[in-house]
Amino acid sequence: MITTKLQIILGILLILAFIFIVNMVRKRALELKYALSWFIMLIGVGIMVCIPKMMNMMAKAMGIYSPVNMIFFIGFVFAIVIIFVLTVTLSRMSARVRKMAQIIAMLSDDTRENKEEHSSTESKEGKE
Amino acid sequence: MKKIAIIPAYNEKDSIVKTVNDIIENAPDFDYVIINDCSKDDTLDICQYNGFHVLNLPINLGIGGAVQTGYLYAYRNGYDIAVQFDGDGQHDAKYLDQMAEVLVKEQADMVIGSRFIEKEGFQSSKLRRAGITYFTWLIKLLTGVVITDPTSGMRMCNRKTIEMFANEYPRDYPEPESTARLIRHKRKVIEVPVKMKAREEGISSISSFKNTIYYMIKVTLAILIERIR
Repeated sequence: MITTKLQIILGILLILAFIFIVNMVRKRALELKYALSWFIMLIGVGIMVCIPKMMNMMAKAMGIYSPVNMIFFIGFVFAIVIIFVLTVTLSRMSARVRKMAQIIAMLSDDTRENKEEHSSTESKEGKE
Repeated sequence: MKKIAIIPAYNEKDSIVKTVNDIIENAPDFDYVIINDCSKDDTLDICQYNGFHVLNLPINLGIGGAVQTGYLYAYRNGYDIAVQFDGDGQHDAKYLDQMAEVLVKEQADMVIGSRFIEKEGFQSSKLRRAGITYFTWLIKLLTGVVITDPTSGMRMCNRKTIEMFANEYPRDYPEPESTARLIRHKRKVIEVPVKMKAREEGISSISSFKNTIYYMIKVTLAILIERIR
């Protein structure tokens, strides 16, 4: 079972984490979209800290001997999911960055041509 | 018919001038475009000094991203034929007309310049050849088509393939993977014999042990995934 002391420590940590994340969102260092999953995690942990009995019930329901093991397991799964989503996002980002770099290379080339030959550019623009 | 040579260049200051002049002299039907992939040396300065047509990537995209820029350029500017032509002096422009002829005559979607049909010219090291043979085997296993030189960087594409590559092209070590993809899409890929030279300057992107392992695994996976796409 969880001690009252640990409950209080965890509660304070959770509140600090919450304030930290909200502040990051406020400063636009973290997008709300990505903050949501962290809020969900905080709420989940918060519920378990407030109602420790629930942990025992859940552990029993999942067939896990010790509630602590369940916490580790859920935490691990949650972290993996977030990391996976991150790599998916990263893949999308790198594809976008690549596209942008290519377009920039081409646009700056067009600019150079514009300077050199004013006449031929208009017909070219029309085609694209 | 509008034809263009795509020259990806990363730190090729010692060979780029020779490469471009080779195309201008020996393949005059071809326009060319250099894709400077954020070279750390004077490649860009040299190109601009010589008045070469160069697209300058603001960030380093790797060989796949650089070549794709060329295909994108070829597509947007209405080219019918585009050929990849390495900036390091390995390729010989005198083959370009020949390749274009084959491409048109055989109505192929891609023509690969292969070192291993007539087995002449620079044949690469034994270890590399073993790797290339492995890819040949893998592609044959999965598609039934024999490509003797799936890693060749000298590849000529028609308009349809230009469009496909402009939309989707692997990021690194793109040749075997994109070849497998073309074949899977029932495109016609044929090879013509060419002689290549040992690279004159610069170093291969696949040199260290770590890179080799990554290369083999990544390309194998890519070809396998292509099979189920």
